[in-house]
Amino acid sequence: MVTLYNPDNMRKERIEQAESILKSLPFKYCFITGSFLFKEKYKDIDLFIITRSKKEINPAKINKKLKITIIDFNDLYSLFYHSVSKSCVAKNILPKRELKATLADYWGIINEAVPTILNQKDRFHKDIRYLILYTEYFRSSQILDTHELNKKISEFKNNSQILDYISKNTPEIITKNANISYIKRFFYTQAGFYKDSSYKAQRLLYELTHSIING
Amino acid sequence: MVSPNDFKENIKKHLSQEFSLEFLGDDFDKIVSFISDTQAEKIYSWITQILNKNIQPIVIGSKKQYKDWRVYELLFFRKELNISNTEYRIFFIKVKNSFYIEFHLGKHDYYDKLRKKLDLTKRNY
Repeated sequence: MVTLYNPDNMRKERIEQAESILKSLPFKYCFITGSFLFKEKYKDIDLFIITRSKKEINPAKINKKLKITIIDFNDLYSLFYHSVSKSCVAKNILPKRELKATLADYWGIINEAVPTILNQKDRFHKDIRYLILYTEYFRSSQILDTHELNKKISEFKNNSQILDYISKNTPEIITKNANISYIKRFFYTQAGFYKDSSYKAQRLLYELTHSIING
Repeated sequence: MVSPNDFKENIKKHLSQEFSLEFLGDDFDKIVSFISDTQAEKIYSWITQILNKNIQPIVIGSKKQYKDWRVYELLFFRKELNISNTEYRIFFIKVKNSFYIEFHLGKHDYYDKLRKKLDLTKRNY
């Protein structure tokens, strides 16, 4: 049985192709999402398989364009899973778990995103998916599907724009979603780890912790 | 194609430090043997950029113990490597204001385990 989740923006012919790929797979829970379903031109077919099996899968045997991501059952609570499964063609009804996304996770993502964005210069689009997903979730309580996420990411033309997006949104999000004592305890400690760093990324993170603490 | 021993020696030569750098990862030598000479040159040049402080490190604000250090005492440099459509990750670890201690090379599952040890947020993308 094939299930369509939020198919409004999907291309009809791709739905049929996705169905045929999914039917050929020996997995109970798998789904296809991403540009293959939504855009005329696409690079890969993003296939997600929910399985406990550690067995390696050779995508080329099925379709040369398949890019496989294995999702563990323990990851079903993640924002990543909720996003990729929001609009997709799936084999069977996909399992659902309640979403768990914390501000500490969000800060971990920013902490990693800032140096990555600076290193990648203007080739950062692939590396900001988590950052945008978490920011938009905490900012507007909206989980972006892969189509919406790609659209949002394409709005950023250079790394300064994405760094501005972080400086503008992060302090607002943290102050809106956490109480003052947590903010002071957590971010004063974090600021200490970045203090006196000779690297630009840590200096930016240090400034960010201060604007969060100062509200 | 690159010989694993030459690859390790070249990296050590770039660092010229007394502390012995560890090369870690499942199938490290096997993966290195797939690396082309051009890719190896790019990795050496990346290391030179790290030494010149042109690459920004990741710093994790965690007090978790990792071997002889706390995670917050370490700097992490990450590089993606694609060999014949398989994605690998390089993770190069330095102690703040001190030596480079580890050079990791592995596939996604190895990288995920390492991220967990270092208290990095789990990622699927």
